[in-house]
Amino acid sequence: MKSRELSLIAMFLSFLVVFVPYFIDVPALDTFSTKLITITAITVSFTLLLAIHSQFKRGFDFVRRKPRGWIFKVYMMITIVLMLLFALGGLETGPYHWAMYAIITPLSSVNYGILAFYLASTCARAFKARNTKSILLILTGFIMLLYQAPFTGAFFDLGPIGIYLANTFGLAAGRMFLISVTVGAMVFGIRILLGQEPGVLGIRSEE
Amino acid sequence: MSLLKSFNSYDSRIVYLLLFLIVTIPLLSPMGLPISVSPSTVTYYEVIDALGPDDLVLVVLDTEFSGYMEIQSGIIASMRVMVERDAKMCVAVSHPEATGIPELVFAAIKNTVDEHGYTYGEDYVILGYVFPNEAAVASAAQDWQGVIHNDFYGQSTEGTFLDQIHDWSDWTLISDYTTGIQSGSLINHFGLRGTPMIVNCIGVMISTQMPYLSTGIYQALLQSMRGGAELEYLTGHPGPGMTAMDAFTLGHYMLIVLIIIGNIGYFGTKENSRRNVE
Repeated sequence: MKSRELSLIAMFLSFLVVFVPYFIDVPALDTFSTKLITITAITVSFTLLLAIHSQFKRGFDFVRRKPRGWIFKVYMMITIVLMLLFALGGLETGPYHWAMYAIITPLSSVNYGILAFYLASTCARAFKARNTKSILLILTGFIMLLYQAPFTGAFFDLGPIGIYLANTFGLAAGRMFLISVTVGAMVFGIRILLGQEPGVLGIRSEE
Repeated sequence: MSLLKSFNSYDSRIVYLLLFLIVTIPLLSPMGLPISVSPSTVTYYEVIDALGPDDLVLVVLDTEFSGYMEIQSGIIASMRVMVERDAKMCVAVSHPEATGIPELVFAAIKNTVDEHGYTYGEDYVILGYVFPNEAAVASAAQDWQGVIHNDFYGQSTEGTFLDQIHDWSDWTLISDYTTGIQSGSLINHFGLRGTPMIVNCIGVMISTQMPYLSTGIYQALLQSMRGGAELEYLTGHPGPGMTAMDAFTLGHYMLIVLIIIGNIGYFGTKENSRRNVE
């Protein structure tokens, strides 16, 4: 039997072991299912090592070619090694603790904060009343922006219309998004089980 | 003509500068603008206010440091209420950066913790990075004792209130503070099975989280930093959320003004172009 078939059989059996206990109460199967999930969780956690390996492999290649910004790759690899070494010295105090609160916290926050500037600029430019649909969108946007600003509510009660818009149009769009994603995931799962997505198992389609 | 043209296509750096000023000035010199409290925050407060000493709460810091900056007011205010109600709290995180967050939160509520004699091990436990993926959440939901043995500091959790936890059904409440890393997994393996959940999410996630509220999977949803500020107001402990609300309000108004200016420029230049063609 080819590795492709073996992989598909192993995957299908794993699927059944996890899926069936949700519907049929067999204690032994339930225990086995839980153990399998725990083994999976631990195995998946070890993929972090693969990620580090890939980062260094790509990083060294990048540095060897020396394209623009190669120095940042060197910086990244050095910081990975340093954080690993720091963590060995303890998490609560010392260099790891310092790096976490003096470097990672502010950098991560700045990274996120910068988004607000781009969002504001894009929002101000994109909302143009070009046709009826965009006028409706702008009006809805105005109402929601006013409703979301805490100061507005202290003087004008936009709550009923804000809640109405959120609980009707907003909720419908949110549900549509979630249902689409879920149905898509189910279809993708069935395609995997039928062997139509061999890439997931790391098998090339021509094998 | 040139003014209208500049309204239509202004330099984005002007927006950056305006936003920078509008955010930093109120933070440096708060104006104390009044705020209103939304019904969703009141519902959220009622859920955590009803907690008691026998309740076991799984607090999941499902965020990076970046997201923490947006929802820290909700996290701090909620955990302060849980400490005041003497509810047992187990803090788990789902991102490596979040391992540093519990220390910041407990430092922020230190007075309340000391005042209530809230002690580590007896009343709360910090687990650290135990939810790296969906399989980890699933196994914790099905066999807690088989998966969780040590806390963040490497100490055994045996002898703590976590001995009472065996699976998803033993938690009184899951309080998730999320940028969306494992919130779906928590819904799949805890919420959908029946563990009560409350969530504090970042602003861009609100619309996608509303369906879980309307279907009853979430008991309450605290919306972004604004929800956190409202919770601070309700609990009577002003913090980072209320401090940021002046900038939050002015930022929203600035966007409205910029959209109006952009549209004046758009219609002005459009009208002039039409006249020139005629």
